[in-house]
Amino acid sequence: MAENAQGTTLRRRTVLGLGAATAAGALSRGAGAQRRTAPITIVINQSPWLDSFRRMVELYERESGGRIELDVNPFAGSLEKQRNSVRSARGTTDLLIMNSGWFAEMYFGGFVEPIHAIEPGFRLDPEVYTLGDSIFFDADTKTLSPRGRLMSIPIAPIVPLTYYRGDLYREHGINEPPLTFQQLEANAKRLHRPPRIVGIVQRGARGPASVSYDFYPYLYGHGGSIFRNQAANDYTVTLNAAAGRAALEYYLRLAREAGHPRTAANEQAEVIQNYVTGRAAHMITVVAAWSQVEDRERSAVVDRTEFAPPPSLPGLPTAPALGHWLAAVSRNVPDDRKRAAVQFLNWFQSKDAQIANARSGGMPIHAAAYRDPIADDRRFRWMRPLAAALEKSVNIYQFPEAAEVIAVLELGLNRAVAGETTAVAALNDMAGQIHAVMAARGYRTGRLEPLR
Amino acid sequence: MSAPARPARTRDPDALWRWAALSPALLLMLALGLLPVLNLVMLGFFEVHWSDGRSDYRFVGLSHYAALATDPLFGSAILNTIVFALGAVAGQMSLGFALALLCSKATRGHALWRALFILPVLIPGIVIGAMWKLMMNPDFGAIAQLLELVGLPPVDWLGDPRLALISVILVDVWHWTPFCFLLFLAGLESLPRDVYEAAKVDGAGAWQELRYVTLPLMWPTIAVTFVFRLVLAFKVFDEVYLLTGGGPGTATEVVSFTIYLRFFTQDRAGYGAAMSVAMIFLIFLMLAAAAAARRRVQPA
Repeated sequence: MAENAQGTTLRRRTVLGLGAATAAGALSRGAGAQRRTAPITIVINQSPWLDSFRRMVELYERESGGRIELDVNPFAGSLEKQRNSVRSARGTTDLLIMNSGWFAEMYFGGFVEPIHAIEPGFRLDPEVYTLGDSIFFDADTKTLSPRGRLMSIPIAPIVPLTYYRGDLYREHGINEPPLTFQQLEANAKRLHRPPRIVGIVQRGARGPASVSYDFYPYLYGHGGSIFRNQAANDYTVTLNAAAGRAALEYYLRLAREAGHPRTAANEQAEVIQNYVTGRAAHMITVVAAWSQVEDRERSAVVDRTEFAPPPSLPGLPTAPALGHWLAAVSRNVPDDRKRAAVQFLNWFQSKDAQIANARSGGMPIHAAAYRDPIADDRRFRWMRPLAAALEKSVNIYQFPEAAEVIAVLELGLNRAVAGETTAVAALNDMAGQIHAVMAARGYRTGRLEPLR
Repeated sequence: MSAPARPARTRDPDALWRWAALSPALLLMLALGLLPVLNLVMLGFFEVHWSDGRSDYRFVGLSHYAALATDPLFGSAILNTIVFALGAVAGQMSLGFALALLCSKATRGHALWRALFILPVLIPGIVIGAMWKLMMNPDFGAIAQLLELVGLPPVDWLGDPRLALISVILVDVWHWTPFCFLLFLAGLESLPRDVYEAAKVDGAGAWQELRYVTLPLMWPTIAVTFVFRLVLAFKVFDEVYLLTGGGPGTATEVVSFTIYLRFFTQDRAGYGAAMSVAMIFLIFLMLAAAAAARRRVQPA
């Protein structure tokens, strides 16, 4: 028999029993570890919705026992990291969170694995938003089509919404939300009292996707477009059609007559800054900004904002441009990590997970979440306008060279907003450059007669 | 009389071993220095596409270099970069030299002045960009608030095309003047004192001392500092990226930023490489011109 320092007698059987129990415990932990899914790495950008996504990841880890590492980067850095990973022989990231600006690059380049190639039994929930069918890719026709394969799952359905000061509307007896461009212009001018408050604050600065993203709802809401029909591989440039001219002239007039005095210098941060400090009556910006608008520590307009889908011409639907984020599985990672990534996506797309997402401050990708009683909560009053906007959302680019076209738009629109050029000259110039880009890349393209 | 015999060349028995000992390091330096540049030059003749997870290099000859001539951003970028480099370097060297002179003549607090003057160069570039962008914000920035205190309207430093490049130059001057200051201070403190004593004996005033004694003696330091700063100024990127993003319009477009847009954002590796090679060539031309000017002007 062994005695310990306190003189307690340890019987041999007790020692053997304890040892057996310890060994059994270790074995079961080891077996459990084998049953657990492989840990995965998700590369994601630093964004207003990151915190809610992080909470979702933590919830998944608690519920499933899986382990996920978030590799957080700035917007441009996230793209570079994803490129470096997918282009190497063996990837370092398993799940790519891709922006609308570059998911096509990943599809066309063959860098991501179709979900059913990893998990043939995967079933896409029918109430998950397909966001302009951007989660599908037909490799034969090189189009985003449900006839193609399921490539990704939406993570954040980012579209712009109109934020407007409901308190000022009530004060001035305006009872309807600004659903048409005429209403927006009239209300913005009515509430325009510079320098204390401007009618609307818009983005006008040149950036990676700045003024162009701000302009899309105006363009498409006027019935315009950049290309004739991308789904049919017709990349005829239609930016400088009559609708495009009407849209840009409206955008510039709004900035000049009811807008911020330095619109050409405003990035998204400045737009939100001006709005949350009470210096603007309207802004049309990404829905993810709602958390900043309602943040009591940062906003002077808490509980004073109402939300609406972006305006359009009478008779035309709202046309918010997708700036969404999709999650796809890297092709060049081990199979067990691919399966673990799909497992996470399968959990994430479920109705229960998406309701939890909404409660965490995220934007649900599942339609049922928008019918949940949470959408009636005053704090989540942006949900129903978002659901209405998502039904009509527009996927602007369906080809991998989108960054080149965006660069043309950024420079041209910035110059127009800064007053360096007229709307007509800007549109003709941009259309010409975009046509040159598409022709150089071998797309079926053409151009309209220049505007006069 | 026959010509004197040439002295026999004496063989250095250690020469071979010296080369043998140095050659691994030399080869490594050559590899690390030359191979990336050679790779860049080669890439400039190709277009790179990706499909099915693999890269496809297509030879395009000189078409990338030909495209530079019609690139709407490249021309503006070259001009802006030259203006930026000359403006920023002139400001940094003038201010740096003046501060170094003052500091070298300070009888008290020499170390304190030196520590204060070099602070900006110790701050990371990204912090400088964020800091000045906030300060220059016409709605909320510290400069706007100061102007408001004295009854002046806010100025759109970074959004006005007439002011944006000057504003970026001012930030760069603030950032890099301490670098020039340190080099000049080291140069001034190493100058021989007896020359100054002789000048004083001859009745030279402060201005004459500066013009006829200090500047000629400091010429090598000035030339080196100028070349250093000019080359670095030509490579400016972080301040433009953080403050203006090349805008408004192309008012602050510089070559490094254009290369970044083409190479990384638009993923045009071949075209970006051609642009980079063109830039390297321009910098070499500039260095050659600076070296030639230095040889002409350098005192005997």
